[in-house]
Amino acid sequence: MEVTTRLTWIQERVLGKLLGNTSLTLLYKSGAHGLHALDMIQRCSHQGSTMTVFHLKQDVVGIFMLEHFPVLHSKKPSTCVLFAFKENTSTGTSALFLNAQVEINTTELKFFSSDDMWLTVNLKKNKLHLSGEVIKELELNLKCFSEYLECEIFRVDGVKNDPGFIKKMLTAKQHRRRFLSALRAYRPSGDLVSEVRILLVGPVGSGKSSFFNSVKSAFYGHFTRQAVMGSDETSITKQYRTYSVKNGEGGKTLPFILCDSMGLDEREEAGLCLDDILHILKGFVPDRYQFDPCKPIKPRHLAYNTSPPLKDRIHCVAYVLNINSVNSLSDKMVAKLKRIQRDVIDCGIGQVVLLTNVDNCDEVLDDNFTNMTESTTSQSQVKKVQNMLTIPVSNILMVSNYTSEQSMHPIRDILIFAALRQMLRAADDSLEDLPLENRQDQLMAPSAASHASKK
Amino acid sequence: MAMRTRLTWLQEKCLQNYFGEKRFCLLYKASVQKFCKQDLFWKCWDNGPTMVVLYSENCVVGAYLQEGFQKREMSITLFALQETEVSACLIGPYLPALLFYDRQAFDCIPCFYIVLDEKNVTISSEICEKLGLPPECSPMDILDCETFRCEEFLDEKKRRDIAVIQNNLLQTLRTYKPYGDLVPQARILLLGPTGAGKSSFVNSVKSVFRGSITHQALVGCDVNGVSDKFRTYPVTYGSDGFPLPFVLCDSMGLSQKAGLHVDDIDFILKGHIPDRYQFNSMKPITSNHPNYIHDSLLKDKIHCVVFVFDINSVEQLSYGLVTKIKRIRRTLIRCGVLHVALLTHADSLDLITKGDLIDIYSCKPLKLKLEAVHRDFGFAFSDILVVSNYVSEWHLDPVKDRLILLALRQILNTANDFLEDLPLDNQVSERTYSQVLRKNKKQENSSYSNN
Repeated sequence: MEVTTRLTWIQERVLGKLLGNTSLTLLYKSGAHGLHALDMIQRCSHQGSTMTVFHLKQDVVGIFMLEHFPVLHSKKPSTCVLFAFKENTSTGTSALFLNAQVEINTTELKFFSSDDMWLTVNLKKNKLHLSGEVIKELELNLKCFSEYLECEIFRVDGVKNDPGFIKKMLTAKQHRRRFLSALRAYRPSGDLVSEVRILLVGPVGSGKSSFFNSVKSAFYGHFTRQAVMGSDETSITKQYRTYSVKNGEGGKTLPFILCDSMGLDEREEAGLCLDDILHILKGFVPDRYQFDPCKPIKPRHLAYNTSPPLKDRIHCVAYVLNINSVNSLSDKMVAKLKRIQRDVIDCGIGQVVLLTNVDNCDEVLDDNFTNMTESTTSQSQVKKVQNMLTIPVSNILMVSNYTSEQSMHPIRDILIFAALRQMLRAADDSLEDLPLENRQDQLMAPSAASHASKK
Repeated sequence: MAMRTRLTWLQEKCLQNYFGEKRFCLLYKASVQKFCKQDLFWKCWDNGPTMVVLYSENCVVGAYLQEGFQKREMSITLFALQETEVSACLIGPYLPALLFYDRQAFDCIPCFYIVLDEKNVTISSEICEKLGLPPECSPMDILDCETFRCEEFLDEKKRRDIAVIQNNLLQTLRTYKPYGDLVPQARILLLGPTGAGKSSFVNSVKSVFRGSITHQALVGCDVNGVSDKFRTYPVTYGSDGFPLPFVLCDSMGLSQKAGLHVDDIDFILKGHIPDRYQFNSMKPITSNHPNYIHDSLLKDKIHCVVFVFDINSVEQLSYGLVTKIKRIRRTLIRCGVLHVALLTHADSLDLITKGDLIDIYSCKPLKLKLEAVHRDFGFAFSDILVVSNYVSEWHLDPVKDRLILLALRQILNTANDFLEDLPLDNQVSERTYSQVLRKNKKQENSSYSNN
């Protein structure tokens, strides 16, 4: 019999992605290699983490073991993940994280704890037993005792030897949903504005347009490229663009606007004019305004000495920097950023730093996706940004923009959502910080104003 | 220590291609498990075609067993890999186990035997000569020994699995609708150097949706290009010809001196050029042309541009042509027209085989090409798509179909991004216009049925 897996190509890929960016190598196949425990052990021991897959009549059930495959007549603890392919789909899986004792003898392979006999496999009779709890958690439509057609064992290459990390990968989809709901439920503080405006500013090529595309892609569930990306001698983005984001394709517009600007160029008379930034912050610059690197905008309102309403102003600025060039920013660029920051602070606008092109997405946040890890926040780039712009570490955000349809992943989505959430919080902070009289002016909507005048 | 092979991507590819497009699955690695032949046998017995690889200071040698480790005599192919050259010779028939010196029986294959626990391999001078190895190299100290199962890259089962995926993709794309119903069909323009594969791509897309190979767009090898007209090709599903809501617009090739006139591109984008217009390299179209489309609407304009390049010649284009293309790209960006790049003939890259098309983006030669295209033209990595057009085939191939459909999906999504990005008042007026069009059509149809 040929030694190839019964899993379809897609099933193999899905299992590979279950615990990160891993790949599977078939080591043992009961139909070709025999049913003895020794057959299994000889081929699978000292190989590292393994996935043991049972092909039932209509389902596929399996168990991942972080520890080495057990030796005969030994019992040892291992971090395990029991998984099953959801009925009628080859792409959906359900998974259960376990700290189990694993034991193998000549007739049985067992996974158990003091509370439960999770999985017991009778090697000679090709039968397995799953506890009621497992059947419930994995949403299986099976009896406790089931016969299996074949057993295959794979080595899992590229998996991180860290139980906390394993758990993290399994819960990523859930956490992504949590972030998504929170963003969908967001309302600007005190309803002072109907949409919060976040300005993306930074050196040419740092990933501003790419970040907007990544945000939209994360909400839509597929790769989008509405904002033009790429590289050229000068900034690709030449217009001021205010992009709304919908809650998924065909969904409602969300209450925030991402404002994309021309990149900052070190050379004189190139890139975004610093004077233009102040005008953007104050709300004078309209959507699709074509920037001129040499001449800032001549705002119409300035002549009238009134300032645009709160809803047109910027509420939060994100300094977008490529994490790989933070440590080598030129003095000129740093000076530009600091000058921009002075204007931002003067206008009382919220600030965050967005570091793009982050490599190890899986390790930026802790296992519960609540906070950034110590190792993330102690990176040299974070310290450099802190010193340069005195922004609190909690507002120095890390993302990995999408580079293709293939690169879409729940953990990348989570980083993008988390960054967006911090931007919205910073915007809210600045709205709440507005002097009371300014706030009252904004709350005096036309109807309220006319009501007041009627009194 | 990890179970990872010492072979570089290139070395692995050379061996894969030499032994007939096989995928290597690492079963045993001496430095991780044990330098003991019993361990090797336990892990590798009965696995079908198997390959043993020995690493020494200066070279890589090994044995390829077409029938794997079994208890019977068979021919064995010994090989040496130096840089990217594979030299091999056949010996046998021998018992494969005797590749490893047997202490109990004092037995082994005389011309080539491995003493694993002593970490060396002895090769006879005759074999050394056949493999192009210096005779002094034997006995060779080995740093590591790895054994692999050799699987077909693209066996029947994989082909069937890919066919299922391809079909799912096809059905999903059938449901494509231009964003907000702003236009009845998305118009995709193909631009690129002469011979890049624009017309071939049109044929390939049409073939995949029709379910059989078609050659409606003329292709050929004329150095001056074969396409010389502006052609809009609709795409239909199945043999019944159910029309899909997108069209591919094929143009004349770009070249440094002749080819498509740059000013014509502007007219194409704005929707003024009629189907079957004959291009003139020297003169762009003027509004006096009898079929010039005055007052073009959104439905006549281009919604996404695809720059098509032949992957083999993209790095050898003349400086003048590269500059021309970059200038065109800048014009597109200025006009707000979204675009992507498409590299054709992906499987003709050096060392790449048909099986690699399944996971093409992970192949090193392709990654290098993407970097070159990014560097030379400024396209973002995310905007460079890869396909292999149908050229001489009689039958469709699910592996090629899948890549073509993946590229098309990106292109159609980009057309939707473009439509979504239009200023809102444009969108509103277009939508009203489309609704009026549909209402008129309904009235027309009902008046027909009344008659």
